[in-house]
Amino acid sequence: MDTRRTRTTAVIAALTSGALVLAACGDGESADSAEAGETAGGQTTLTVALFGTFGYEESGLFEQYMEENPDIVIEYESTQGEDKYWPALQTKLNSGSGTADIQGIEVARISEVTANQADLWTDLRDTAAGERVADYVDWKADAATTADGQVLGLGTDIGPMGLCYRSDLFEEAGLPTDPAELAAQLGSWEDFLALGEQFKAGAPEGTAFHDSAGGLYNAIVSTEEQIYYDASGELVLESNQALRDAFDLAAQAGQDGLTAKLEQFVDPSWDAGFGSGTFASIACPSWMIGYIKGKAGDSGSGKWNITTLPGGQGGNWGGAYLGIPAASEHKEEAAELIAWLTDAEQQAAVFANVGNFPSNTSAIELVGDTTDEYFQGAPIGEVFTTSAQNAPTQILGPNDGVAKNAMVQALLSVEVNGVDPADAWEAGVSQVLNQVR
Amino acid sequence: MTTITRPPVLPGTALQAPRRRRRRGNHAAGWFTYAVLAGTAVLFVGPFYYMLVAASRPMSEMVQSPPPLTPGPNLWANIQTALGQQDIGRAIVNSVIVSGTVTVATLLFCTLAGFAFAKLRFRAKKALFGITIGTMMIPPTLGVVPLYMVMAELDLAGRLASVILPTLVTAFGVFFMRQYLLQALPDELIEAARVDGATSLRTFWSIVLPIARPGMAVLGMLTFMTAWNDFFWPVITLNSSNPTVQVALNNLGSGYVPDTAIIMAGTLVGTLPVVVVFLLLGRQIVSGIMAGAVKG
Amino acid sequence: MTSTVPVRPATSPLPPTEPHPAAQPPRRTLRSRLFRWEATSAPYVYVAPFFLLFAAFGLFPLVYTVWVSLHEFRLNAEMTWVGLDNFVWLFTNAKFYNALLKTFTIGVLSTVPQLLLALGLAHLLNYRMKARNFFRISMIMPYATSVAASTLVFAQIFGRDGGFANWMLSLVGIGAVDWRNGDLAAQIAIAVIVTWRWTGYNALIYLAGMQSIPYELYEAASLDGASRWQQFRYITLPGLRPTILFTVVVSTIGATQLFGEPLLFGGGVPNGGAVNQYQTVGLFMYQQGWQYGSLGRAAAVAWVTFVLIVVLVLVNTAVVRLRTAQRLTEGEDR
Repeated sequence: MDTRRTRTTAVIAALTSGALVLAACGDGESADSAEAGETAGGQTTLTVALFGTFGYEESGLFEQYMEENPDIVIEYESTQGEDKYWPALQTKLNSGSGTADIQGIEVARISEVTANQADLWTDLRDTAAGERVADYVDWKADAATTADGQVLGLGTDIGPMGLCYRSDLFEEAGLPTDPAELAAQLGSWEDFLALGEQFKAGAPEGTAFHDSAGGLYNAIVSTEEQIYYDASGELVLESNQALRDAFDLAAQAGQDGLTAKLEQFVDPSWDAGFGSGTFASIACPSWMIGYIKGKAGDSGSGKWNITTLPGGQGGNWGGAYLGIPAASEHKEEAAELIAWLTDAEQQAAVFANVGNFPSNTSAIELVGDTTDEYFQGAPIGEVFTTSAQNAPTQILGPNDGVAKNAMVQALLSVEVNGVDPADAWEAGVSQVLNQVR
Repeated sequence: MTTITRPPVLPGTALQAPRRRRRRGNHAAGWFTYAVLAGTAVLFVGPFYYMLVAASRPMSEMVQSPPPLTPGPNLWANIQTALGQQDIGRAIVNSVIVSGTVTVATLLFCTLAGFAFAKLRFRAKKALFGITIGTMMIPPTLGVVPLYMVMAELDLAGRLASVILPTLVTAFGVFFMRQYLLQALPDELIEAARVDGATSLRTFWSIVLPIARPGMAVLGMLTFMTAWNDFFWPVITLNSSNPTVQVALNNLGSGYVPDTAIIMAGTLVGTLPVVVVFLLLGRQIVSGIMAGAVKG
Repeated sequence: MTSTVPVRPATSPLPPTEPHPAAQPPRRTLRSRLFRWEATSAPYVYVAPFFLLFAAFGLFPLVYTVWVSLHEFRLNAEMTWVGLDNFVWLFTNAKFYNALLKTFTIGVLSTVPQLLLALGLAHLLNYRMKARNFFRISMIMPYATSVAASTLVFAQIFGRDGGFANWMLSLVGIGAVDWRNGDLAAQIAIAVIVTWRWTGYNALIYLAGMQSIPYELYEAASLDGASRWQQFRYITLPGLRPTILFTVVVSTIGATQLFGEPLLFGGGVPNGGAVNQYQTVGLFMYQQGWQYGSLGRAAAVAWVTFVLIVVLVLVNTAVVRLRTAQRLTEGEDR
């Protein structure tokens, strides 16, 4: 009996100590500690924490930098969903430790950063990255600049808008398939809806003209200068007629059955729709090119094409920045890495690999001639460059994300739950006001 | 309910089943029972099979009509992608660490406390036990916000400790061990030990622990599983650099995911350890659940 | 696992002896005092870990939640006192009442059928049969999955365009249901996920309860000519009452905290559908705190939910006590 007890004791003790040891080791491995600075041999370790697909890893840029700079080691981690990345980042900023040397910032958050968090981030003008600021499209750099001129982030990509469509489905429905022809026919968003009616009349079963009313709404809104906030920082959600018009147009499209009623990015059926042809067109910012290729796969090659937004308008959806938290202990090295990553050549490489459109003006020139085989040889470089140039400087506000989500949700309710557009608008507005106070 | 005495045997009475001196299994199961139970088994196990099929075929095939019903060839490739995507391997290791630590600590502390409440005499015993039961009613969601803030201040957010510490001992465990020890531990044994000069600690170590072992086994299994499947708090405090399996699955299933097949592959890998345990220890787990039910 | 436990007889380390004589040699006083001190302090030491940890990670956050709920608090911003504003905001917010309603409806949808099914299954499992262990283990297989895993799988099954569920419906001529976006459809889908997970587990619990009902009762009843249904109703059900109560209380508390299933069913977005059709209070709280970053409001939601649970459980218990008292006065002899 004694041996059994002793053995039990031993087992329990071993398990406990083993677990504690593993716990200590396991935590030590977590790569988000900014203290992981010096390694043996005088190397500096830089931690980079991003979200979604920035394209640096995919384009082998981290490898390349480490080769060219042997005294730097880069540790990279990525969170898929930005909506999970941001609260986690906020927590670390709050406690003052655990942030990486370089953190990604989504464009929807940059406004909050410049307004409220200037003391948590490094002013890049004082670093090697400061020289780059002049290389950017005006509105891109401005968005990351605080009221008193501090530059808290360096732009990575932008999302100029185009219109992606399935030329095979268009053909079946009797629509023109040549991008120039389509552009000629689409002088305005109303023309777009009319084209949709035409499609619906001749389309094969189970295919809708556009993917979602929310997507359509975002596309229209992306061409506007003033969206949810005005220049003085006031919320103009209710008074902005352009917003209301965009909402009503998208709602109409939804009610008329021109959309596939899918929730973008979260509905598995939306993912599947790229390949299975559930929808024949989608407003595509340049970063969606890679998305389409991934979702539709090889069987989708040669079926997609791209043209400009109606009326040749330019718009922007998305884009991000790279910032250095104030808690970083390797600001200079991090700034050098940022400067390199956002340099023209690197941005062009990223565009070639994952379709993120450059925000650096020289890089934009570099990519102007790019064509894409998958998209039937479409001149995507040209399309997106034109769109970027025509895009207005949008006024950003701290709660753009909240407002956008509310509007998109309201439109989905029109599409699938039969809610009246006027009621849906009211519901969306009241939700925003509720949250924003 | 009134008590019914055993009736006299009447010759020629039609009985619905041969009489046996058994407490259970009064009637033999008919075809209807088998059919229903088999159908239920299919419904319960079906989704696992679906997971396997979906994880082994490209997404485009799964949306066809009719959908495929047999596994395809892509399983290993998809699993590798999923492992790379969300570091499911690391997540499994983390889950093992968390669940293991929590289980060991829970067993120790809950048995100690259960023993105290069951067999030792001390003032405020009733009051303290009442408080223990009361805490069971508190939903975990209640303290989440300040817990999150505290963890952020202590710089523990995102570390495994933030998930381990709050669950190191549970009221349910204390309650369970108390019930178990009340039944399993004879008072005389404790008295005898005390009379012989054994300290409480010695009594616990030498007498209580061995007797409590079956109960601890059940509690250990349940605790391990609960810790493994814990979702809400880990999702809030951990992120993708240091996830447990559930957090990794949450990340896999939200946002810009490449492929449904990858999601299913990741889910399969994350679920497999527990499923294997269930298949191996199924009988013990079933007995444990049923024993816990009666004692509860 | 039987309830008999190997009792260790006199091979325990200390053989029983005669009680010591009353008078003790003086040099033993210190030791006996220590001994007694150990005896009185030991229980407190043993229960201490639980209470200490609870105080740190259970009680403190609870109290602090009240404090936080009286402030407007965002991470990395100042904590400003707003008094009861958060609660006012909460009680005038239609979405909160919607969340309460949805929690209730999804709760009912996921507990009532589940417990009824579990009862039926337990009854069937109670028969003598071959492959008994196989069936029992198949009952708890769903319990092996986590909330995340099972929801992800069912989200695929309930997909609108290529989902298995819709394919099966099409076989019997029913058109595709938009499970994700529909109002009742989404709630049913989530209820199915919860039911799938817990029915087998509760069936085993009922089975255990049923097995402690003496067989003689059934024998006597069948001799009296009672049908199987009558036996079930008048012997099984009353005998199971404490177990049923236990499962009802536990299921209710679980239903009020439904979080993982609705979250992942919506793709990780906490708004619970386009018209918040499956946004439970748990999801609502998460949305406030972690999507909108308003931790003060999240704390307010948490507290109100807690109070509701307490009220619910108290009402539950009171109702049961009332009905038991009623039954006793009416008499249940048959």
